[in-house]
Amino acid sequence: MIITNNDLVYSKLKDDYNILYIDGSFRDVLVKTRDKVHAGYELLTHPLSSSLKPNETPYKSVIISDKKGKLNFNSVYIIEDAIIEYDKFNMNIIKKISEKIRKDFKLIDLTVLESALNINY
Amino acid sequence: MEVNVLKLELGYIFIKDIQFAEQSKVENGTLYVNKEDVKALILEDQNFKSADVELARPGESIRIIPVKDVIEPRVKVEGPGGIFPGMISKVETVGSGKTNVLKGAAVVTTGKIVGFQEGIIDMKGPGAEYTPFSKLNNLVLKCEPIDGLKQHEHEKALRFAGYKVAEYLGNLAKSLTPDEVHTFETPSLTEGLKLYPDLPRVAYVLMLQSQGLMHDTYVYGVDAKKSLTTMIYPTEIMDGAIVSGNCVSACDKNTTYHHLNNPVIQDLFEQHGKTLNFVCVIISNENVYLADKERSSNWSAKLAELLGVDGVIVSEEGFGNPDTDLIMNCKKIESKGIKTVLITDEYAGRDGTSQSLADADAKANAVVSGGNANEVIELPPMDKVIGHPEVVDTIAGGFDGSLHDDGSITAELQVITGATNEMGFNRLSAR
Repeated sequence: MIITNNDLVYSKLKDDYNILYIDGSFRDVLVKTRDKVHAGYELLTHPLSSSLKPNETPYKSVIISDKKGKLNFNSVYIIEDAIIEYDKFNMNIIKKISEKIRKDFKLIDLTVLESALNINY
Repeated sequence: MEVNVLKLELGYIFIKDIQFAEQSKVENGTLYVNKEDVKALILEDQNFKSADVELARPGESIRIIPVKDVIEPRVKVEGPGGIFPGMISKVETVGSGKTNVLKGAAVVTTGKIVGFQEGIIDMKGPGAEYTPFSKLNNLVLKCEPIDGLKQHEHEKALRFAGYKVAEYLGNLAKSLTPDEVHTFETPSLTEGLKLYPDLPRVAYVLMLQSQGLMHDTYVYGVDAKKSLTTMIYPTEIMDGAIVSGNCVSACDKNTTYHHLNNPVIQDLFEQHGKTLNFVCVIISNENVYLADKERSSNWSAKLAELLGVDGVIVSEEGFGNPDTDLIMNCKKIESKGIKTVLITDEYAGRDGTSQSLADADAKANAVVSGGNANEVIELPPMDKVIGHPEVVDTIAGGFDGSLHDDGSITAELQVITGATNEMGFNRLSAR
């Protein structure tokens, strides 16, 4: 399952993947992911994928398992640390970015996600 | 004995000045560049509609933004292959023979591949102290893409423009006599054991950013995300076997210049045969998928064990998720009974008191820091801005009001190219 606030990811991948679209912030995606992890879903991609900082890009997509199982402590650990990391950044810059830049950030988020999805298992 | 040693001689030709001239050449420590030749070379690529070339010397009141890559001009003088194999030279194994280097010169590429920007080099003032590239005589390329060029193609075209111009400048040094020659020798595993039976054997795990558009690194032309962890001779890297396509996270990305001049490799060679036996470099990627991170770090540990090393140095690239690769490498290698030293940087908040990394483990008990990227700095205005000055207000690591009316900038250290480099190619640290 993909949890994302990036509408480009949603529109491009919705027919092929199970997507939970969040109408909210990067942090909202992390918090929703944390809730899912607490419910027993496993984190499959790193929630801080890409080296773009939380105060640069407003968009985030995370992949978790489709099925839930026992609580995965590794996943808990990674998502909790990601939220702590996120909260260290000053968020003011996000407010002033233009539509063109938003499109670019959506594209980067999509390509980073695709670099994970293209891998054969 | 000689047959079991890979030996590279690096010949440094010291460059103290750079100037435009009728004819490109190197004379008495000055690099003369024919501007039109360089422009023509860039415009061979039909993805560019125009190109401009400028000079930036140490101490000049110049700000370069947004920096994409920095490349040192080198040329093979003797031995197989050419610089940047698999990219602009054939895929032949490099790292032996002789290579000449224009030491003190660099090609800097700038470009607005996407709307948001980062990567500042100030040639003067407090900003200059944070970046090693302020000390170089830089040829700065500003290339304008044709309309509608996709970001992927733009990134690739810009990357190749940098290599081609660096190769062009490097070729000027082909027949010159170096001012200084440095010799680097890597014996085979068995030879190394015979030569230094009592010295601790050390490998270097070099982590490479590999996550998609503007986040990639190439090894002999191969996208690192598609490779398993593998081994490479350190001298291959000095001949450009690893190049950077990583344009994000200015402060802690490894530019091509960093790869060519990797200080961990330089220092390990310096101690080789004295206090330790430098066995080889293990290159490992930093992918998005957690399963990839598991696989790649398993492989790092397996190779370190197979090589029978006593210790490894691990260097990271980038922010956030690579902290997980770093800690996985550390834990798994340590669990084989091999000591690790990690090199990273910190995002410890503006006052430096927050948790530094997005991951941690008790086994990570020997860590070298490249500095705190969240630290706020003030950059005074410069007389001249090369690149795309109009984007300064959209720099990453800036915040509301970070660009002031007089052209000065208040921003986090993360905006400066190479400021908190995780190979230690900088002057910041923490104790």
